Amino acid sequence: MSRVKRFFRTYTPFTRSGMQELIAYRANFICFFLGEIISAFIMYFVWKAVFLSSDSDTFMGFTMEDMTVYLFIVFLTGYMTYSDGAFAVGEEIIDGSIAIRMIRPCSFEMCFLFKEIGNRIISIALIFVPMVLGVEVYRYAVTGEVRFNLMYFGFYIVSTVIAYMISFYFNVIYGFMAFFFKNLWGTSLIKETVVGFLSGGTIPLAFLPAGLATVLNFLPFASLAYTPVMIYMGMYSIGEIFGYMALQVFWLLVMMGLSKLVWHSAVKHLSIQGG
Amino acid sequence: MKRYFRLHRIFVVQYLKRLMEYKVDFLLGAIGLVIAQAIQILFIGIIFSQIPKLQGWSFEEILFIYGFSLIPKSVDHLFFDNLWMVGYRIIRKGEFDKYLTRPINSLYHVLVENFCVDAFGEMLTCILLLGYAIPRLSLPFHWYTIPLLLVVVVFATMIYTALKIMTSAISFWTKQSGHITHMLYMTNDFSKYPVSIYNKAVQAIITYVIPFAFTAYFPASYFLTDSDPLFCIGGTVIAGTVLMTIALFVWHRGVNAYESAGS
Repeated sequence: MSRVKRFFRTYTPFTRSGMQELIAYRANFICFFLGEIISAFIMYFVWKAVFLSSDSDTFMGFTMEDMTVYLFIVFLTGYMTYSDGAFAVGEEIIDGSIAIRMIRPCSFEMCFLFKEIGNRIISIALIFVPMVLGVEVYRYAVTGEVRFNLMYFGFYIVSTVIAYMISFYFNVIYGFMAFFFKNLWGTSLIKETVVGFLSGGTIPLAFLPAGLATVLNFLPFASLAYTPVMIYMGMYSIGEIFGYMALQVFWLLVMMGLSKLVWHSAVKHLSIQGG
Repeated sequence: MKRYFRLHRIFVVQYLKRLMEYKVDFLLGAIGLVIAQAIQILFIGIIFSQIPKLQGWSFEEILFIYGFSLIPKSVDHLFFDNLWMVGYRIIRKGEFDKYLTRPINSLYHVLVENFCVDAFGEMLTCILLLGYAIPRLSLPFHWYTIPLLLVVVVFATMIYTALKIMTSAISFWTKQSGHITHMLYMTNDFSKYPVSIYNKAVQAIITYVIPFAFTAYFPASYFLTDSDPLFCIGGTVIAGTVLMTIALFVWHRGVNAYESAGS
């Protein structure tokens, strides 16, 4: 018990600093968010035009209501599970300040994780709750009935938390890799667009050719956003939900293992010059 | 004036030397932009696999508008990318002092200092898209089409650049404004699709407030249909001129208000 207590006593200050950081830079945070959400609105208008131009009420099995919920929830899930806390590792390796981190009596990834959790707590209050409310109000206005399902929502939350953890460890690995390339902007752009596409951020995976969609469903990227969103929308049966969540846990373990491996090999080869 | 052109050449040569040292970086940036555009086009492709026309626009016409939107965007990106750094870093770190001590105009110096070759990724996509769409469309062609196109590209690029100058100049007062630039810059994505798909409020904003519609949809629709040149082309010229005038004014005021951040 005392170990658990000590663990939290060690890392909760990081959470607090993460919260304070975000509050201090709130204007930046809000401007950045508004800039990002524009893409979801553009997609919404494009889809609206598609449904207006189409003779049928559904597009590959999605109604306009489904599509809207999908667009905004996939944006929200991608936004909430986005992780770049560990990205600084690459920079710290280059400038050598990682040495300080290594002599501290705490795990480097836990420091980042708890700091980002602090960030997320603010994001949940400022963005997550209002957006989910907005989507549900929209759904109610369009269909005239409450579509919100507490059970699916509960599963969605669990699935999103796992997705966040996968994303976190994936980005720890990427952070180590990135320092080999100097153009952080270029590699991040490639990573973000590819991951965004493979996780269903642009197009629901169900719209892709059947073979490709099946493969993508099993890759770790679908676990990042597509799986939670499909759960939210009630597209999966209970059996499927547990199946996909097990897959998420599998990918989480893989990413955790890989990040340990990369960390150890990086530490072994690390040499820091001067001070 | 001649001196400024000569200086520009020296800056570009200097930059190309730096670039030769980081060839891989450049490739990664350009590849990233090509992938980002390719995914968007795949999205358009999937839409058109199910419907023949999007609110009266064919697949080729949509690709033409999309490709057209990348011309001013990539030109601005190629030449004037350094403005982002003003809002994100240069002022905050007090690095702007450097520009004030040089015997050339500070804005000119900031603009020409960097040369963002990543933009070739966007240019490549743009050429591929237009190269695919134009032969499949029967575009009206006059002797003045090409000169008019050049005029449009200049003024549409000015819309982009002026917005960036204006928003980065805010940091002269606030020390940091990169996120404001980001927020306004992102609205350029609206211009990739026909304005008619948006609701009235969005249409009004992207036409009269942040006039990105004049960087792509309006001029592109003129080149597609030959109709309403006064609004489509004239609007671009006016929007570019007005925005640039405001931007230069704001920048000038900002430089006067600038206080170094100290170190």
